[in-house]
Amino acid sequence: MTAYIIRRLLWLPIILVIVTFFTFAIARFGPGDPLLVVAGQIRDDEVLEQIRADRGLDGNVFEQYQTWLFDAVRGDFGESIQQQGFTVTEILLPKMWISAQLGIIAIITIFGLGIPLGLLAARANGTWVDPFVISTLLFLQAIPVLVVIPPLLWLFATQLDWLPVGGWDGLFDIWWIGGVIAVPIPDPHLYIPLVAFTLPGFAGVARLTRITALEVQKEDYVRTARAKGLSEGRVTFRHVLPNSLLPLVTVIGFALAGVLEGAFFVETLLGIPGIGRFVFQAVGSRDYDVILATTAIFATAFVVMNLVIDIVYGFIDPRIRVGASR
Amino acid sequence: MSGQNRLLAILLSVLAVLVLAVGGLSAVLLLSGSDDNGGPTGVRTGSGNSGDGDGGSSATGRLRLASSDPVTLDPHLTTDATSAEYIVEIFSGLVTIDRDLNLQPDLAEAWDVSADGTVYTFTLREDIFFHTGRRVTADDVAYSINRATSRELQSTVARAFLGDIVGAREHIAGLADDVSGVEVIDERTIRFTLDAPKPFFLAKLTYPTAFVVDQQQIESNPRNWTRKPNGTGPYKLQEWRLGERIVLESNERFYLGEPPLAEVLYTLAGGSALTRFENDDLDVASISINDIDRARDPSSDIGPLYSSWPQFSVSYLAFTTDEPPFDDVNVRRALGLAIDRAKIAEVTFNNMLVPATGILAPGLPGFTPDDKTFPFDPDAAREALAASKYEVQDGRLVGEDGPLPMVITEVGGGAEAAIDTQAFLEQWRTELGLEIEIRQTDFATFLAEQDAGELQMFNGGWIMDYPDPEDILDLKFHSTSELNDLSYENPQVDALLEEARTELDSEVRLDLYREVEQLIVQDAAWLPLYFSQAHVVVNEAVEGWFEPEMVIPRLRFVEVNR
Amino acid sequence: MATQAAQAPAGFGALEGRSEWSLVWERLRRKKLAMISLVVIIVIYGAGLFASVLAPYSYTEQNLDRGLEGISADHWLGTDRLGRDLLSRAMYSARTTLIITAAVVLSGSLLLGNGLGLLAGYRGGWVDNAIMRVGEVFSSLPGLLMLILINASLSPRVVDAVRSIEENTPLTGLVSSGFASYITVFLALSLFFWVGTARIIRAQVLQLREREFIMAAEALGASQRRVIIRHVLPNISFLVVLQISATLGSVAGSELVLSWFGVGIQPPAPSFGAMLFEGSGARTFQAHPNLLLVPGVAITMLLLGFALLGDALNDAIAGR
Repeated sequence: MTAYIIRRLLWLPIILVIVTFFTFAIARFGPGDPLLVVAGQIRDDEVLEQIRADRGLDGNVFEQYQTWLFDAVRGDFGESIQQQGFTVTEILLPKMWISAQLGIIAIITIFGLGIPLGLLAARANGTWVDPFVISTLLFLQAIPVLVVIPPLLWLFATQLDWLPVGGWDGLFDIWWIGGVIAVPIPDPHLYIPLVAFTLPGFAGVARLTRITALEVQKEDYVRTARAKGLSEGRVTFRHVLPNSLLPLVTVIGFALAGVLEGAFFVETLLGIPGIGRFVFQAVGSRDYDVILATTAIFATAFVVMNLVIDIVYGFIDPRIRVGASR
Repeated sequence: MSGQNRLLAILLSVLAVLVLAVGGLSAVLLLSGSDDNGGPTGVRTGSGNSGDGDGGSSATGRLRLASSDPVTLDPHLTTDATSAEYIVEIFSGLVTIDRDLNLQPDLAEAWDVSADGTVYTFTLREDIFFHTGRRVTADDVAYSINRATSRELQSTVARAFLGDIVGAREHIAGLADDVSGVEVIDERTIRFTLDAPKPFFLAKLTYPTAFVVDQQQIESNPRNWTRKPNGTGPYKLQEWRLGERIVLESNERFYLGEPPLAEVLYTLAGGSALTRFENDDLDVASISINDIDRARDPSSDIGPLYSSWPQFSVSYLAFTTDEPPFDDVNVRRALGLAIDRAKIAEVTFNNMLVPATGILAPGLPGFTPDDKTFPFDPDAAREALAASKYEVQDGRLVGEDGPLPMVITEVGGGAEAAIDTQAFLEQWRTELGLEIEIRQTDFATFLAEQDAGELQMFNGGWIMDYPDPEDILDLKFHSTSELNDLSYENPQVDALLEEARTELDSEVRLDLYREVEQLIVQDAAWLPLYFSQAHVVVNEAVEGWFEPEMVIPRLRFVEVNR
Repeated sequence: MATQAAQAPAGFGALEGRSEWSLVWERLRRKKLAMISLVVIIVIYGAGLFASVLAPYSYTEQNLDRGLEGISADHWLGTDRLGRDLLSRAMYSARTTLIITAAVVLSGSLLLGNGLGLLAGYRGGWVDNAIMRVGEVFSSLPGLLMLILINASLSPRVVDAVRSIEENTPLTGLVSSGFASYITVFLALSLFFWVGTARIIRAQVLQLREREFIMAAEALGASQRRVIIRHVLPNISFLVVLQISATLGSVAGSELVLSWFGVGIQPPAPSFGAMLFEGSGARTFQAHPNLLLVPGVAITMLLLGFALLGDALNDAIAGR
């Protein structure tokens, strides 16, 4: 197992190099010059040439990539062009933190809602409830987030005035009870993005839970438990739920990927100062160093995530280890 | 089914556990990011840094605005309006422009221009201080000019705004150690020598490139000084959280007296500004096209708070004038005559923009109210097209070498950006039978191609940097100007522009520019489309708010009574 | 955006041969939801396919005097800001979706995905390793970001290429019809949509190779081509169909997002993404809900149709 993990980890830097080079090549292949974007309408071609030379933006692309790579290995991801005077790390870390907070809450919500609903549908198999729940979930999954958000904003922000129209103000507000007990209350900015993240994700979790729960229910030990006269709730909780969780490990990957990608348009639509919104702007203004750093971060996240899932899966189900090259 | 209720109970308990988990997590998050959640912004007051001079502060109001991150707060590097809006409040220069666009003394209290118009001698005020309390002297001004034009700084605008000073170009090119045309006479006197008489020189000095910065701060912290810049302006930067908020607080030592606003809060993230305005989270909000009808209706809730202001910016269609088929002035004229801009402004912009009457916007020196542009006249358009050397075949113009593709390029980040262009395309199709393609690119690509002169025809815009026709007419249309991206060449225009450069009588000079404007519009190198307008709603508690035609210091004029 | 992998159904492989398809169809026909979904998909795709015949207006036809109108006899679903008929634009947008989904599924999923999956599974060894590693690289790329980047970078190049085709051949109107942007979107999406399919097909082929009848065929000296065509392909055909139905939805969704971001299908060629963009914003929705609802409802119905049909197909093949 250890050898397997090490082998996979050794593979990570290779993937990162390939991925960043790919990104680098695409970004440079396209037309567009980041310096012109910040140079303004009155610009000075001579000075721009100088800057290009100093920043290493002229000359051989391979050499440029090499320079970037060596700097990056040493932890220097370069400087942003669209946000002058800040290193990429300085800009991205706080933004990643905001996106990560949102993402973690979104994942918790996705699984926290998906699993009970899946179990509910499985329990109600054979009645109208099961197909009703599943179809509703499918429907919710099918609505693109881009379609959902404007009506939500209209209803809750402009008509009812319950929620802010966008932005970000931390995860929690603190309510003091009697000035002594602190109760964290989710910040109102959280709800609409959370809905946007959850809708496309939790249907998948619920459906998988349902399917595995149905399979598990047919297993002998569940039948035995039932035959012993255990209550339904107990059967569900004791036997069905734990055994249905295993396949869900694989879905975490999909859910995380969904949340990461959703960040692009959810943050853009709702004006949340996270990494997704910023990177989209970076693509528009060809802020190479920001784009590269972000791809590297995302790629690392994806690879590590897959690895962790494989390892967890391997611990739970030893058969996987043998044919482990997913 | 007795299990049903139990299941419900289980569901609820799972949810309860979840809530607990979220709560627990929150505690962790709060501990780790305590500065992040140090209380809602409403709690924060200007006394956050209980440092210098809280006691005698007369400033009281607090203004809440929406904006975005500045690209940079270094006045010598800035090129964009967003950054400039912060910079003109934090820093200041020798001269400035007031609300009526008149030149006013700022750090300088007076100046003297030599008879030949090439030597400017400024006398500084006596009581001018940086935010830290250090006195500003002529040496600081000299340092700032030298820094702005240094080769190391690589400012892309230094040549345009300071290049008229003798020796500045050499300094920018790294051929001289300092700008020879800047002389410190004594502590309060500084002299600039220009390479020729430049009537617009003072106007250029109002741009941030000529602002004064603190040498001590920059040299002690060359990389990060802009995060807490030490300027001379009416406001100090108190807090800047990237992408979240910027807070300015009043500078009690400001030489024109402490400004009335104690604090200005810029929120950098968030959705629709008007909704936030209506929820009382903002004091000023710009109006989008979907709300303009409501804002214009005096009986609506926001109607009485609405106002609109002309802006010094013009949008246009431009042609590369040496490339077929747009090398023929008749083709360009035909396209101009075939579009009904008034109608399109009404339909696509709900009249939030004003059809342009020329290149110079209302209020600019040299502006004349009569319409110099081509009217909407389909018959004249067809005549003009018929007079051209090209023939129309299957929607295309055909020259000697066969059909010529016609492509209009514009910056597009989605479908909406193209909406007026799509209307133009339709009018060219119906009125002239021409099929013109539209091509959208992102901003970076657009600029690169515009810079390289690769765009056959494009949709562009120009925002004035200083209120002088030179800023647009000479820069964009003189045949030798670096910024002339149209290959436009008209000897008569060149001659008039050159004459205006050194003409000291301002009325004669403006007449020259009026003539130039007329010629360019008739040549249809640009088809001027619209002048911009700012549309805002302002909270009743805010007094003295205005939307200037261009970026100028304004927060010192604004009060909030709450 | 992530390609949802179709789970290999439990009863899979028990079926073989042509008659099994009719059995699946029989089962499918009894599922009401599946049939409704099929009808919805056919209606939307049909509207797209015959848009040039059925649409009451062209997608560019403007009437500046009649912008932003509601539902009327002339414009059944209202008009946009330029007075263009929303129904017609929605129909042409369906055509865009049809073209993109069909092209990407054919190339990315069907050809690339299945081909590489088959190759990897059947050949094994270094070929397998190479294909799977490349797949791993692609799946560790942030898909949407890469798609945006690729489209922003590639589209000017593709347009130039298409324009030079236009200039050197009698073909015309390729660029103006938005053909170039279709190509870009199609290329970019194909690049990312083969990985999921390839993995699943490969896994299935690996299993098949252990089966007696394939071993027997190989032992008897049947050529590789023959083994693949006669024995492997028929056995993965269900999986291929399932995979296609799973991919269709995500391709349509991706095109939507790309066009919404302005790097997908370029105007004036219509697309649901661009239409949604015009209608998004709480205030726009309040003032002119049909701008959002017309494309929104259409694309939701289509995506829901894909999901329900895919589910039913899965059940039908699994013998449920």
